This record gives sequence, C-alpha cells and structure tokens, in this order.
Amino acid sequence: MKLLLSFALIAVIMVYVTPVTAGPVSEDDIQNSFYPYKSGFPSFGGYEPGVVVNQGNVEQFKDVLDKALYRFVKDGWVEIKTAPTTDFPLSENYIQATRDNAAGVSLNENGTLDGYVAGRAFPIEPDISDPLAGQKLVWNYQYGFNSGDSETIFPFWWTFRNIKTGKVERVLKFEWHFMNYSHRVSFDPTPKFEKNPSKIYRGIYSIVTEPFDLANTQLLIHRYEDDTKRDDAWLYLGFQRRVRRLATGNITDAFLGTDLMIEDFEGYNGRVTDYNWEYGGTRDLLLPFYYHNDMELATEPANDPDGYRFVQVHGKGNCFPNVTYQLRKTYTLIGTPKDTNHPIGKRVINLDAQTSTMASLITYDRKGDLWKWFPIGKAHPDHHDPKNKGSGVALDDYAVLIDVQADHCTTLQFKSIISDEDNQPNLFTVQNLRKAGK
Amino acid sequence: MFLNISRPIRWQVAAPVVSLAALASMPMVVVAGTSNDGVLETRGFVENATFYRDDVGLSKARNTVQYEFSKHLNTSGRFVDVSISGTIRGSYDAVYDLNDDQFGANSGRPVSFRAPGNPAFFDTLVKSSGGPGAPFVPTTNPVFAGTFGPAAAGADGAIPLPGVPMGTINSPNNPNIGLELVGDDAHDFEKGGVMLAYPTRPCNIDSRGCLDDYLDFDESELKYPEFNDKADVIRELYLDATLPSDGGREIGFRVGRQQVVWGRTDLFRVLDVINPVDFSRHNIFDELEDIRYPMGMLNAEYRMGATERFDDLNLQFLWKFEEFRPHNLGQGGQPYSILGAGNFFRAMGNCWENGCTVGNFPATGLAVDFPKHSLGIRDVDIPNDRDEFGVRLEGLYKGVGFSLNAARYYSQLPSLRGGVEADNPFTPATESRFFPYNLAFDIAFPTVYLLGGSADLYSEKIKSAFRLELAYTTGEEFPNTLEERLFSESDVIRWVVGWDRPTFIPFINKKRAVLVSAQLFGQHLLDHELQNVNPQGLPAVGSVGMPDWKNNYIATLLLQANFKNDRLTPQLLTAYDFKADSGAFAPSISWKPSNNWVFNLGLNLKFGDGAKAFDDNRSANPFPPFTCAPPVVAAAPAACGSAFGSLGVGGFEPIGRFRAGPFGNAINEDEIQFTVRYQF
Repeated sequence: MKLLLSFALIAVIMVYVTPVTAGPVSEDDIQNSFYPYKSGFPSFGGYEPGVVVNQGNVEQFKDVLDKALYRFVKDGWVEIKTAPTTDFPLSENYIQATRDNAAGVSLNENGTLDGYVAGRAFPIEPDISDPLAGQKLVWNYQYGFNSGDSETIFPFWWTFRNIKTGKVERVLKFEWHFMNYSHRVSFDPTPKFEKNPSKIYRGIYSIVTEPFDLANTQLLIHRYEDDTKRDDAWLYLGFQRRVRRLATGNITDAFLGTDLMIEDFEGYNGRVTDYNWEYGGTRDLLLPFYYHNDMELATEPANDPDGYRFVQVHGKGNCFPNVTYQLRKTYTLIGTPKDTNHPIGKRVINLDAQTSTMASLITYDRKGDLWKWFPIGKAHPDHHDPKNKGSGVALDDYAVLIDVQADHCTTLQFKSIISDEDNQPNLFTVQNLRKAGK
Repeated sequence: MFLNISRPIRWQVAAPVVSLAALASMPMVVVAGTSNDGVLETRGFVENATFYRDDVGLSKARNTVQYEFSKHLNTSGRFVDVSISGTIRGSYDAVYDLNDDQFGANSGRPVSFRAPGNPAFFDTLVKSSGGPGAPFVPTTNPVFAGTFGPAAAGADGAIPLPGVPMGTINSPNNPNIGLELVGDDAHDFEKGGVMLAYPTRPCNIDSRGCLDDYLDFDESELKYPEFNDKADVIRELYLDATLPSDGGREIGFRVGRQQVVWGRTDLFRVLDVINPVDFSRHNIFDELEDIRYPMGMLNAEYRMGATERFDDLNLQFLWKFEEFRPHNLGQGGQPYSILGAGNFFRAMGNCWENGCTVGNFPATGLAVDFPKHSLGIRDVDIPNDRDEFGVRLEGLYKGVGFSLNAARYYSQLPSLRGGVEADNPFTPATESRFFPYNLAFDIAFPTVYLLGGSADLYSEKIKSAFRLELAYTTGEEFPNTLEERLFSESDVIRWVVGWDRPTFIPFINKKRAVLVSAQLFGQHLLDHELQNVNPQGLPAVGSVGMPDWKNNYIATLLLQANFKNDRLTPQLLTAYDFKADSGAFAPSISWKPSNNWVFNLGLNLKFGDGAKAFDDNRSANPFPPFTCAPPVVAAAPAACGSAFGSLGVGGFEPIGRFRAGPFGNAINEDEIQFTVRYQF
C-alpha cells in the first residue's frame, strides 16, 4: 500500500513539475465541449420538465438538486418550477478562439497557464482519473465567457434580507463594469489592448448610487495576467472624497456588509493558485437557466428607460428567484484553500458544462458544516434586453447568497448588458474614480 | 475624566426632538433618486447632531439639511460627459439658543484678576518713570483687581499705564461683561501665565475684538453658518465637461465651487492643502468632506490613461478664482475654537481697539491696563489677488499609485506679524511707530510654495496597504520671540505614513474583518530657532524662539468593526500628539436600521498634559526703559535704554497653545455625542 501511495505521489509530483499540454484538440472535442446537448438533452428518471419540485416530491429529485437546494426544498423554503432544457451556446468567436489556441495551452509547475491566448483553455472532457482535471476546469472557469469581453450591469440591486422575517434591511444600488484587457474575442481590439504595461487581465469597476451613506463609493479592481500576483484594488469613498488603496489580501472579508465575500464574486474571485482544485465528477442538475422575458418579473426597477424589470423573488425570506430551473450537465469542482487560516473549509462549485460558468456554489465552513449557498441565475441573451441578442453570453440575471448559519441572505438583481460602449480602459483607472466622484 | 451629566438637561434632551420635529414639518419639495430619463440624480439627508460637554452642557445642537444633485446635459459640440452638479447645505445650530449663557447672546461674565502686587509695583513704576504721580491708589483687594470695571468706579485696581486716557481703560464700549479668560477652558493660571480676557458674544451683540472680515460672525452666522455673504449654502456647484482626444486621451474640466482632495490621509492634512477647512464645526474630528470649504476653481486634467510605461497617467492644473479664504478656526465664544486661537485673536483685537487689562503682567501677581493701540491685533490682511495655482502629476506604475504635487497658495493659517505702528503705553503721546518686540500685530496669510508627492501601495506579505505623503513648503510663518517682529519664516517638511489592514480578530467577529488603520504624521521646521539667550545675548530664564516644535509627531489609530451586515458599526478612534503629550479617544457606535436612518452615539474624550507653557514675551523690553525687566535693571542698567527681546519668562498664554496642539488646548472638551440622520 505504501509503495502504491509512493508511486501515486511521484506521479502527481511529476505531473506538476512537468508542463502539461492540452495536446491535440479535435473538432469533436470542441463540439462536445460547447454543444453538449447536440445529441439530446439530459433526462432523469421520473423527471418531466414542468414538474414543480416541492417538499412533497423532493426525495424523488434529490439526485438532480445540489445539496443546499435539496435542503431548502425539503425544509419548505422554496418550490422549484422546472422547464425544458435549452441550449445556451457561447459566442462563435469564443469557440473559434478555442479551436485556434487550445492545443497550445499548458499547465506549468506553478499551476498557471502557459500559451493561453483566448477561448476555453481545456475543452477536452474532464477525466476523473486525471489528477489535474480540477485545475483545468478552474482555468476554464477563470477564462470563461461569463461576462464576455465586456459587460455593464446597471441597475444592479443588492438587497439584505432577513430569512426568518423577510424584512428588507438595506438595499445597495450599484453600477458595475467588467472588461478584459486581454484574451478578447468579440470587441476590438482583439485579442488585447496594446498599452497595458502591467499586464492587467481584467478590470472591474463599480459605483454605488444608493443609499446616501455609501453613494459615490467606487471600487476598482485590477486583476493581472500573472495569477500569482494579488489583485490591486482602490476604493473611492464618497464621504471622504478620496481614493483609498485597498488591502486586497483579505478577500474573505464581507463586501460592504453583504453576505458575499470579495472572494465569492462570480463564484470564485481569488487567485486560482490560492486553492487546491479537484474534479468531483459530472452530474446533471436542475439549474436556474431561463429566458428572462418569459419569467414572472418584478415591478422594479420602475424607471428603467428600456422598460426592463428584474425577475421576481419568492420563497423563504424572498431570497429565491421565481424562475424556472432546467436540467443541465455540470462538472463538480471542489476547491480547498491552501491557507489553513481560511474561514472556508471548501467550495463546491457546480460548473455548467456548456458555458463554464458557475451555476451554483456551496460553501462549507472549516468544521464541514454548510455555510452558504450561492446560485447564479443565467438568462439566455436572445430572450433578455434586445442589446444582448446574439452576444453568446449566458447572462448573470439573479443571484442570492444565503448564509444558512446567519439566517440571512443578500439577493442580487441584475440588468446585464454585453457591450463595450462604456467599457474602455479609461473607465478602469484610478483617475476615473476621482473623475466620477462627486 | 468622567462626564458630568448631572446638570439639568431638560432642554438639552429636548433639543434633538424639537429639531427633528421642526425638520420633519418642513415641506419636502425635493425628491431623491434618479429621474426616469436617467439624467438627473438627487439625494440628501436631514440630520440632528447633539453634543453635550462636560461642565458646559450643550455644545452642539446642529440641524442640517443637505441636498445633492447631478444633472447630465445633452451637448452637440466636441464636449462629452457634460454635467452640472451641486450640493446645497443649510444648518441651524440651536446651541446658541438653548445654551446661550455658554455660547451666545448671554455668554461670558465679568472677569477679575488676582493682583496683590499692584500697589508696590505701582509706586515703583511711577517713581522710576518720573511720571506725573499716581492718579489713584490701586486696590489692595487681592481677589478683585480686575479691569473693565464700571466707569463710575474709576480705579479698578489694575495699574493704569500713563498712556491710558483718564487713567483707566473703562469706557462704555468696553464694559466688564460677556468676557472669559483666554485659555481658562484649558488650564488654570497657577503657573503665572499671562491673563487676557476675550469677549464671547456674537459680533452683532458685542463687536469687541471682532476683526474685519475674519472671525467676525454675528449671531445669525453662528446659528446658520451656511447663510452668509460667502453663500456657503451653495456648498458646491460645478460644471463637468470632457474633451476627447486621440488614443483614448481626454481633457477634463471641472469649473465652479468644488473640493479638490490631494491627500490620502484622515484627520490631518499634508498635501490636502487646496481647500480651507472649517475647524469651528468640530475641531479636527468631522470628516474633511464635511468641513472643507469648497472653492471656486478651474480644475483641468489631461488624462492620458495607459501609456507605454504607466498604467495610468494624469496631469492636473488648478486655478482658484474665488477670493482667498482662510481656515475657520472658530471665533472667540464658539464651542470649538481650535488651539483656542479664535479666543486669543479676539482678546488681542479688543486690546488694540479698546485697550485691555493684562493679568500676571509684567510679572505674576500684577495686572496692568494697556491703552488702545499699544498692543493687540490691529488688522487682517486677506489676500485678494486670486493667484493660487496647483499642478499635480499622478499615475499608476507597476501597481504603485503616485503623485507629484506643486502649489502656490496662501497659507490658510494666519500668521501674526508684529512690527505694526503702535503707541507707547507709558507715554501720553501718540507715537504710532514700530516698537521692536512689541506684541502688536497684523494678521497675514503669507504666500506658500509647496512641492510634494504621495504614493500608495500594497504589500501582500503583510496584507497591508500603505499610504505615503511628503510635502516641502517654503514661506510659512511661525511665532518667534527672537525676532523684532515676533515671527519668522521656516521651510517645513511634513510627511505621513498610513497603514491599513483589514484583520480578522475572531473574538470580535469571525466573519468580518476589523479595519485597522494607523497613521504617523511628522512635521519638521527646518529653520527652527530656540535658544536660552535672548537675541541681544542676555541670558534667558527659559527657552526663547519658536513655540512650534522643531520635530513633532502625531499618531492616529482607527479600529472599526462591523456586525449585522455592516449595519452595526462600533469604532474606536484615537490620536496622540507626542510632543504635546495629549491625545483624543473617541469610541462610537453607528446603527443603520434601514437605508434611511443612521444613528450614531459616541464619546470624544481628551487625555494628556493639556496646556503647555512657553515664553510669553513678558520679559522683553519693547518700550525702553519702562519695560526693562528688574534683573536687567539690577545687573546691566545700560541695556534698559534699548529694546531687547524676551528673556524667556513664560506661561501657558498666549503662545503656549502652539505647543499644546489641537488636543492639549481642547483638554477639557470631553463630550458625549449623538447624531441621527434621515437620508433619502
């Protein structure tokens, strides 16, 4: 046994010290990766789209619910409406970039990528016997097409809710912008901006519009190509009228009092190399993927110039999206922090196979107890705001972070627009914080 | 240092209730939010801040309405992102009505000085000066030997110098009412420091010591500080416009009344010199955003964005076109008078204008009446050339934010320039000439040139962000008893290192980091002068020269925790002035039950040595031979024929305040503070 373990250990070490290339990527691999439903949609015994999963029948569908959602339905917190699975194809530009570049991508000894240009880094179906499968999946997520090359979310409401009472405690209203400096496939310039001396990979900019005590607070994050380099971040504090450098090391801190850690943004917002990543297998799960315009919508935001409305909330504490779920192929990605002082024991991310976006995240504390659930509802771009049509991005449309230990949730309601109209490098500068600061 | 709240507090408790009720009854003609077309954003708040000071009672009952707006304008020309923004603020501080015997129309009292030595000294003086003889026999009452006594009483016990008309300074314009002793709120006079009285009442009620256009607020300006001739009710109003250029570059303009923040620090300022500050609102403790005076400026920026070398680069040019405005240090009689400067200025203004009695002068146990125009503050010279400029280059290089700053501006702190033409109080004649070392001043705001820079960076190793600022100035002026005009210039280096680290402290909160933010400020006067002989080489009994410290350091520490999704926020702010050996300790807790309501309860406590003594110029000889110090008379009588500088006899007043700093001078201003805000 010891001998076996030794061999296994040597094998793992050799894998890590030897660059692992993706190898040849066939068109079948591309098709399988980006069109997993080409030969049919998933099914599950006894499941028919349209069924409502509730306290009465939840045991029947336990295997197609993630553990947290199963618990919530079982406890009567929410009922799940279902709908037929639909295709969410990504942008052809992203797929083509994968065809063109995936073969040249390799994992180096640091666990970061060499040779990555654009597209999905590792489109080949993950193999449970591959010790680096988790590492490859997390890179597919990291360089995914979650926001396209460029995305604006406005309005973007973060609502603090007491699960027990349903009381709305506070609403933060934001405007968020995301822009990739490199690995671009849709908006010019592709694949990158040339004037980028510090090799920033991604810029994130947000500004709070309400409430008054946080109004004009702005956040700027620079994420670098070098994954081992910590993000740089600045905060413009409206009540101080100045830019303040943020200590970005503590990304497990709650963001502006929400239930989200900074590390939670988009599912995982830290350095890939801060965690050990493990592939936990492939499952079909009921996920909140839907056509936004077909959902029951809220009355807010009441003054949107396009008449856009958020999806409605329901369930315990009004924490859950009142949308349809569909059965989709997912990869289970398990992340364990390398830092032994990290408050999280592990993250279990259910990656949607077609889009490589995080469909749901379950966070466990260091004792192994369920701590948080964070699903992100995805809207099809062709059934959303007309500006998104044809963008090939599964749009962030609703999210909630439920802290089951605190009986509290923060709901996130989005209007996502895939556009580069506002998102140019000048927006992602420290100077812009001062310019926009009032 | 416990707060005494046993005094009757009926009205004090009622103040916030009454105030909020009044505010709530106001018609809310404004709305908050974003217009349907998205071009107009508005927001605001109403607030009551009620502070209660140990042994004083209510020190603030301020009710504020603030309304902010920003409107995007459609343009068809070359400019983009054109908008107009503004902040309207009005407030009413009811403390001047609710506690008017401390801070208002009925404040102050008659003052008196212990002067048991007057009779003997009087005889000596009269004989040595060959004067006409005693106009009266000074009282031997050691308790009341005061001044400003009823005119009918004639002699009141202070020694009437020969230059005093009618032998006393009594006049209907200078009665002994509505007065306090300078520094009496910070120390007693057991060390024999100079005692001066200052009028406390608003300038429309008592104009004594009110300097023209500087710290001369009338009652309505104190109660309603934004409704003044500067139109501070229009706190900010500016136009933004951007002129796009090639390669994503742009030139941005912001024109109008605005705040420009150069610094990266809290509480104290190093590079943040563009806007003057209203310290009368709450000493240094309010957010700078709320106490900067926005100024009319042209703010032009050439935004280069990313270049081959820099991730961001920006060149800023500033021109202040609004008339120069100094800091508001708080006038005599206001609840907050930083360094006690406003009290001192008002006392000196009255001395010049009406004459005054100075206690413990020229030695402990004496009190002397000085006639008008012999000492004091004569005038205020406020620059009006509108020639303040600033340039800043800032950018981002390899993740390090930096700036290089240069400015030409007028000092927002006043300089007391001696050397004004005065009358010799020991002679009946009107000389109106310069007497070296005489305490007769004009207030000036000298031209200052600043060069500096700043940086911020992050260290992953210790998970900390650092803020650095460095400024070098020339042209600043400081009191200096070695100089004939009692001031001199010094180049100054100021710096600050700030350290911010969100830190998980499990026993406080396992899920939310505590913000630990520390700052260390340094100030170095490069041309500092301090010695133990006077300028003429006569040995001094104490230090003579500049009261400001040659090298001083102030440290601040902020600990801020958050609970209940950041709606419950306790924090501890503390600051310590190393040379002054004084500091402040300000715990508070904030509660936000909803988007609209914010409650804050806090304490503001001071600790340390309090007042500091320094050479008070009593031992100078500005009016030879009359003011020649007895030791010199005895040891070197020939020296008495010429003016000479101070021999270092000192006390808390008048310029020890520059050593005690903002905490030492406020040592007795312990307060409990409650603020409630409704924001919309």
